[in-house]
Amino acid sequence: MVYTGKNAAAAEAPEEPRIGVFICHCGTNIAGSIDVPAVRDYAATIPHVVVAQNYAYMCSTPGQNMIKDAIAEHHLTGVVVAACTPRLHEPTFRTATANGGLNPFRFEMANIRDQGSWVHMHDWDGGTAKAKDAIRIAVAKATKLEDLYPMSVPVEHRALVVGAGIGGIQASMDLAAAGIETYLIEKQPTIGGRMSQLDKTFPTLDCSQCILSPKMAEAGRTPGIKLYTLAEIENVEGYIGNFDVTIRRHARGVLTPNEAAAKGIIGGGCTGCGDCSNVCPVVKPNEWEFNMAPRKAIYICHAQVVPLIYTIDFDACVKCGLCITACGTKKAIDLEMQDELFTIKVGTVILATGYEAFPIEQKKEWGYKLYDNVITSLEFERLICASGPTIGHLVRPSDGETPQSVGFVLCAGSRDNTGIGKPYCSRFCCMYSLKHAHQVIEKIPGCRAYIFYMDIRSFGKAYEEFYYRVQNEGAKFIRGRVAQIQELPNKNLIVVAEDTLLGNQVQIEVDLVVLAAAIQPTAETEIVRRQFGVSCSGDKWLLEAHPKLNPCGTTTAGVYLAGVCQGPKDIPDTVAQAEGAASAASIPIHSGHVELEPYYAQCMQNLCAGCGMCTRLCPYSALSMTVVDGRTVMEVTAAKCKGCGTCGGFCPGGAIKMQHFTSPQILAQIDAFFLGGEQ
Amino acid sequence: MTSAKAYKDAALAARLSDRVYRPAEDSDPSFTAEVEKIGGTAAHLCFQCGTCTGSCPSAPRSSYRIRTFMRRANLGMKDVCLNDPDLWLCTTCYTCSDRCPRDLIPTDVIMAMRNMAAKQGIVPKNFLATVNFIYNTGHGVPNNDANRVARVKLGLEPEPETTCKYPEFLPAIRKILEAYGTKQLADKVLSEGQ
Ligand SMILES: Cc1cc2nc3c(=O)[nH]c(=O)nc-3n(C[C@H](O)[C@H](O)[C@H](O)COP(=O)(O)OP(=O)(O)OC[C@H]3O[C@@H](n4cnc5c(N)ncnc54)[C@H](O)[C@@H]3O)c2cc1C
Ligand code: SF4
Ligand code: SF4
Repeated sequence: MVYTGKNAAAAEAPEEPRIGVFICHCGTNIAGSIDVPAVRDYAATIPHVVVAQNYAYMCSTPGQNMIKDAIAEHHLTGVVVAACTPRLHEPTFRTATANGGLNPFRFEMANIRDQGSWVHMHDWDGGTAKAKDAIRIAVAKATKLEDLYPMSVPVEHRALVVGAGIGGIQASMDLAAAGIETYLIEKQPTIGGRMSQLDKTFPTLDCSQCILSPKMAEAGRTPGIKLYTLAEIENVEGYIGNFDVTIRRHARGVLTPNEAAAKGIIGGGCTGCGDCSNVCPVVKPNEWEFNMAPRKAIYICHAQVVPLIYTIDFDACVKCGLCITACGTKKAIDLEMQDELFTIKVGTVILATGYEAFPIEQKKEWGYKLYDNVITSLEFERLICASGPTIGHLVRPSDGETPQSVGFVLCAGSRDNTGIGKPYCSRFCCMYSLKHAHQVIEKIPGCRAYIFYMDIRSFGKAYEEFYYRVQNEGAKFIRGRVAQIQELPNKNLIVVAEDTLLGNQVQIEVDLVVLAAAIQPTAETEIVRRQFGVSCSGDKWLLEAHPKLNPCGTTTAGVYLAGVCQGPKDIPDTVAQAEGAASAASIPIHSGHVELEPYYAQCMQNLCAGCGMCTRLCPYSALSMTVVDGRTVMEVTAAKCKGCGTCGGFCPGGAIKMQHFTSPQILAQIDAFFLGGEQ
Repeated sequence: MTSAKAYKDAALAARLSDRVYRPAEDSDPSFTAEVEKIGGTAAHLCFQCGTCTGSCPSAPRSSYRIRTFMRRANLGMKDVCLNDPDLWLCTTCYTCSDRCPRDLIPTDVIMAMRNMAAKQGIVPKNFLATVNFIYNTGHGVPNNDANRVARVKLGLEPEPETTCKYPEFLPAIRKILEAYGTKQLADKVLSEGQ
């Protein structure tokens, strides 16, 4: 923002307010439904208004110059622009106000377009009258505006990334490459997220692990990335530039070589040899393989884990100690290990907490968990994967036979307004189901693949071509949503749908059904969201600051989003957003300081009775009690305050002043509305 | 008008045999609104996924396609809907309504159309015979000897707690059928013998 200190005239308070009003036509957006000249003539009659002008596009350079020139010519103390919304152009007009030599916070906007001409498009007189009211109210506030100064706070030269799927990994690598020390926190024992569970990736069909594991390895060894697995966020305090984040490291039961060295165990720590696992007597289903393979109580999820450190499942461990003996001189195992809490200070944060599958058994008509041979697409990925529980041989769960026909049910729980499923499109199921159809056709000669779909959404680069390819390979496409699935005594399944293009019901017997289950945010996302004060949309995905113009930011300054936690997206889009978020998160860090809007609360300590009730109301923990001259009074940490006004509205003694939204300013607006008007 | 798709009104027959959809003649937007009002469901939100037809017990046995009726409802194809004998093949099992992912109630769309058709005197005879059964016995499917034997076997009284046991309530039921003109409609259409 370009302005320097106080305007000389404004400093000589108290003086008579001198307000300029500038009315925008917005082409015909406003002028087409509102009588702009009449509004301008009216504005000139409002008390304290010394100049009223109108122009086709106030936001254009000539429009902004009108404001600048009028400030000088008429010695204005306040500027009112009647146009679109503050969200769109407040920064523009603040800059114009500052360029004219006034403090930029002496600018006020009247919204006569989105709340005026657009809603009263067919009511010329009504829209015109409402515009006059809006301007009168804005002028009333402008007469009471004060000079305000944004606060500059220093930014910690470190970042935090929560969740180490491909989104979190990419964001951390970018931040580290930009010279920013980055903490990467992952709740699982290994990084990689969902992508490490996939076999191949559409549309190019490269092996998911082959392209992911080099990145995982790099993230694990890059000095600029401080990686903590089996860790979660315990508590968050602070604000942009200065977040104090407490991390809980769950007890892993196994020491890394570094941890062992710190304990004086020379040459000790886990080498990933697996001797412990071999002797462990406890066998459990491996959740990472969707319980389709066994693991021990001391285990790694799969062969390519990063970090390659074994983990003890303390819920299963019987503390027999066999593993300790097997580990020998490495002395890596500590059965008494406890959770560890530590606090880090970071300037900015990226959330990349990903997704989980919607519990598709809730849609009873498809029989998941009821019929043996109905599986989900993620289970399919493991069964078709060479490193999976069946070494890549797709089998049906009931009898281990190779299926000769497979039905793929798309939109399983997506695009569902019944309240059971999800109303949104899960976005990648069309494409991975095409991939799955290709895989069964390729791997099992003669196997038939039926794709039951409503629409095939193959919108990405080279995606439509992939659709063409799979159709050409012989997959059968049936345009109809599956109505029900029935199980036969031989465990085959009858898939019932309408072929809507034929107009007939079809009942197709298949050996295996794969449900392209909808996805939803992980359960922890809600917790992390609340810890960082980030909003979510109605469907619970984390909410971006602006759906088009700020897709990586959030409404909480300093917190950014990457990957599926913001909404369903495939790997290319996840990586693109992660790089965008890393760039956005590095800007405040590299500039070294951030300016905060001066809309914070102020305690008028002479009026404060010290009741302290406001401190508990503040959603951002910005208020605390302190003792000044022997009296207990409230104190605001301005950088934490978001200016929501909760405390200001509540304080029984009227001791809290909300800057830029003071009681006199708001009362003047109300008075102007009720008492003013054309007499 | 029960089985064959033949219409006594020649002009209507000609129009319905025209296979081109011409919105100006074939579409009556007020029909969509009326169906939604009577049916109490936002039929225009149908996205033609076919879950309803896939769920429909009538579909594999007949030419009745509930999804097609949803489509026609949205295109305002009043005459086609009300004159199609398939309209009467819905069993009102409501399975489609349980499963519709748009949370619509296709069954009630059919019911709305039947209501409108009936007002125009378009009702198959067997439905009107049911009206007379209700008028005479209080039941669409009256009790019979086989049923009575079965009930006694199950330890129930031979007659259920309805007009079967309390015939004194029959006049009230008749009054309802007369008040809504249902009985008169049945008599009129049946006497025309079509
Ligand atoms: C069956 C299937 C097949 C697919 N196939 C393809 C394909 O072929 N091509 C393609 O482009 N895309 C495919 N996808 C989509 C792909 O999986 C996603 O785009 C990608 O995994 C998104 O990465 P992410 O980092 O956003 O989330 P995730 O991979 O879900 O990673 C999130 C990470 O955050 C961690 N986490 C969550 N909460 C917390 C917390 N509170 N604290 C710490 N850590 C936390 C999780 O443990 C996880 O490791 C497929 C998806 C499915 C379901
Ligand atoms: S991506 Fe395809 S299958 Fe998945 S919800 Fe969207 S439309 Fe349905
Ligand atoms: S199930 Fe619902 S949305 Fe789908 S075609 Fe039938 S009425 Fe339309």
